[in-house]
Amino acid sequence: MNEQPEPTGDTAVPAPQVTPVDESTRAAEASNAGPASDIAAAVAAYEAAEIAAAAEAAEADPVAGSTIPAGSARILAVPATIPAVGVTIPAVETAPADAVLLPLDEMAPAIAKASVSRRAFLGFGLAFAGGIVGAGALGQLFPVFADDSADVNPIVPGYDPKSKAWTFVVDTGSCIGCGLCVVACKEENHVPEAPEFTRTWIERHVRTTDGTLYVDSPEAGINGFPPESTAPGAAGKPVASSHFQPRLCMQCEDSPCTTVCPVSATYRTEDGVILVDARRCIGCGYCVTACPYGARYLTPAGERTPNDTPGVADKCTWCYHRINKGQKPACVEICPVGARRFGDANDPGSDIAAYVAATNPQPLHPEYGTRPRVLYLGPTLKEA
Amino acid sequence: MQVGGSTLTLGGRVVPTTPRAAGAALVREVRSMSFGLRIWMIFLSTFLAIGGVSALLALPPGWEIMGTKPSFEWGLLIVGYVFFAIITSGLCLSSSGATVFGIERFRPFEKRHAILAVLSLTTAFGIIALELHYPIRMVFGAVLVIAPTSPMWWMGVFYGAYLVVLLVEVWSMFTDHPRIHQWACTAAAGIAVCAPTTLGAVFGVIAAKPFWHGLFTPVLMVASAFLAGTSLLGMVFYFVHRLKLADHERAAPIAIPAVRLLLAIGLTLVSALVVRQVVAGLNSDELALRQATEALVSGPLAAQFWGLRVVAGFVVPAILLILPFTRTPAGTAIASGLALVGVFFDRLTFVTAGQIYPRGTLAGTVSYPYAEYTPSPVEIGIILGALAFIAMAYTLAERYLDMGETDVHVGIAWPWVKKHAHDDEHDLEHAETGAEGDVEAAGAGGLAAAGASTAGAGS
Repeated sequence: MNEQPEPTGDTAVPAPQVTPVDESTRAAEASNAGPASDIAAAVAAYEAAEIAAAAEAAEADPVAGSTIPAGSARILAVPATIPAVGVTIPAVETAPADAVLLPLDEMAPAIAKASVSRRAFLGFGLAFAGGIVGAGALGQLFPVFADDSADVNPIVPGYDPKSKAWTFVVDTGSCIGCGLCVVACKEENHVPEAPEFTRTWIERHVRTTDGTLYVDSPEAGINGFPPESTAPGAAGKPVASSHFQPRLCMQCEDSPCTTVCPVSATYRTEDGVILVDARRCIGCGYCVTACPYGARYLTPAGERTPNDTPGVADKCTWCYHRINKGQKPACVEICPVGARRFGDANDPGSDIAAYVAATNPQPLHPEYGTRPRVLYLGPTLKEA
Repeated sequence: MQVGGSTLTLGGRVVPTTPRAAGAALVREVRSMSFGLRIWMIFLSTFLAIGGVSALLALPPGWEIMGTKPSFEWGLLIVGYVFFAIITSGLCLSSSGATVFGIERFRPFEKRHAILAVLSLTTAFGIIALELHYPIRMVFGAVLVIAPTSPMWWMGVFYGAYLVVLLVEVWSMFTDHPRIHQWACTAAAGIAVCAPTTLGAVFGVIAAKPFWHGLFTPVLMVASAFLAGTSLLGMVFYFVHRLKLADHERAAPIAIPAVRLLLAIGLTLVSALVVRQVVAGLNSDELALRQATEALVSGPLAAQFWGLRVVAGFVVPAILLILPFTRTPAGTAIASGLALVGVFFDRLTFVTAGQIYPRGTLAGTVSYPYAEYTPSPVEIGIILGALAFIAMAYTLAERYLDMGETDVHVGIAWPWVKKHAHDDEHDLEHAETGAEGDVEAAGAGGLAAAGASTAGAGS
């Protein structure tokens, strides 16, 4: 085959001199040369078709038609088989029956209609990549998780969470329902004053002589309790038994709140305490609805909120900012009757391990299946 | 749609984009509207304004004006989000017969379902943005922080992808990209199953709320989606038929009977699942589930459940579909409207029943005998505004976009797509065009014809 001149830009170059070749002779020679020459035969057939097309075009338009313009589509219009490797090159079905070379600019509309063009594909890819880079850059310039809340890392220097085995025990037989624990919690953690927003609360469980159980918690127990239960229907009924049940986050080992959080704002520290990153929380309320112990709430708009961040999930942290400095949670510290006990079971100086061994406290509602880490003693266990 | 210089071409109408000219064009457009259309637009604008004001009031930190509280955290906005999100999926499920499987009788759904799906999903996103306290964090947080254990994160993934696919579907439909369109439709139909399933799982994994907990919740969500999407199509095609909108010739003989068929399937499916829900709930050993179900059937939710969910949502539509003399476009439209109302109240009672009988005290609040929740005027205003937004945007789409039948559904000869005479006509047209040397037409139509003829030869 004669050499084609290299096209120069968009300008059609003069037609090359096409030398007549006896193609049938050439193909026959190639096909007699054995399997290895099958490829050569197919190539020869292709070249013959190409030359024939060029000659035909030159005949039709001696100036432009005989030239294969830059970017011409090398499309074979008849099927060709290469027996040596068992490969069949299919024909393009939309092309005419005889062999032609379609310039790319003629094929472009059909290609663009039938599929995504390379330009569109590259454009989409670039736009997508640009979007990712742009979003990242915007995120750096205007950090969406940044606000005025406290340092994201609650672990203070010198505190080794892995060495801790924090244990919280509530003795419902000792609790007198004074509400000081609720007061201390609200003050220590800037919990909103409204009673429906609380990290810890006290319930009063009253069983009347007819066997009915009444539960009340007026204003979450922050002001103590009136002599008679405020639960609807309980007034005037003779009481068979009653006790107070302080409640708080159970710091569950299989915690639904950490599982369902869509942005991983709720997380478990290495010592097992579950915390909320107020800078990350989106305030969807999923963790609030998922907690079987009702230990969570969304902070309201207002000045007094934990971490000074309104509209995010909040819960008891066992006063994490205190315990990692060696202090006890505020509610434990203030309880006048020792109904709340807290300590590190790994600490030889703490009596919590011996207390647990001696009293055998149990989790509340183990049937929820979340493996709560707050343990209870007293009449509330018999009630369950 | 074409953009050029200071003009925008929409459905053949040239719309100037300079403020003065745009204002004058707007006045001209309003004057060109019929009296009924003007009343309709004023009606919708009123509710849109109510919705807009409500949305402004609800912007952070305006969440205190919602009726929700720690003991009842999810309210009407969650219901609205779920409702519009499942409508989106239902539209794609109902139309998949045409868009994916090439069934002739569903082809009138093709364009209108896509427009409605984009609008309803956009509305759902708008509502959830107002429900979330920090919506921007959600957008970035869901992208930057992977939380694979959270169904809500997966819901974001599926619905986010869904919006992209739907936009591609609409774009390819109006710009005549058959292959892209068919891929987008197929992907949309797939996501239309995944997305409401995941949305159901958001509720279904919450063991703390026994009424929501369980595997049947995602199933009911998908079935409700199908019913909701079909119902909306039923209402739309009645108006297409009644107002003689684009392609109305096929509304009464093809689209509305198709809606009737799908509506019957949807009503049967959803009513069976609701019966299962009630029977299982009343016979459960779980006190909270039993109490929640009793609240639904004989407690504070009974009026909504029996009146709007069962009678208006199931019984009346079923009667309208069954009786011979109500098997008319108007009868089907009323059945569709009632079924859609039924789905809304089904989702409302579902969300409220899940929280109405908590297992215990929630953040210091004892709820006895039932937890109370009353939607605030702002929440109701947002939902009304959302409905008005969809109705107005869709009205404008009907007015300015070409809603006639499109040829884009024959882009790819899927192995499962049955060859129709309709396709043959198109192929013939394409072949004739190709013979005249129009390579462009042969590129798309010819490939489909080639695929179909190959399949035919194989059989």
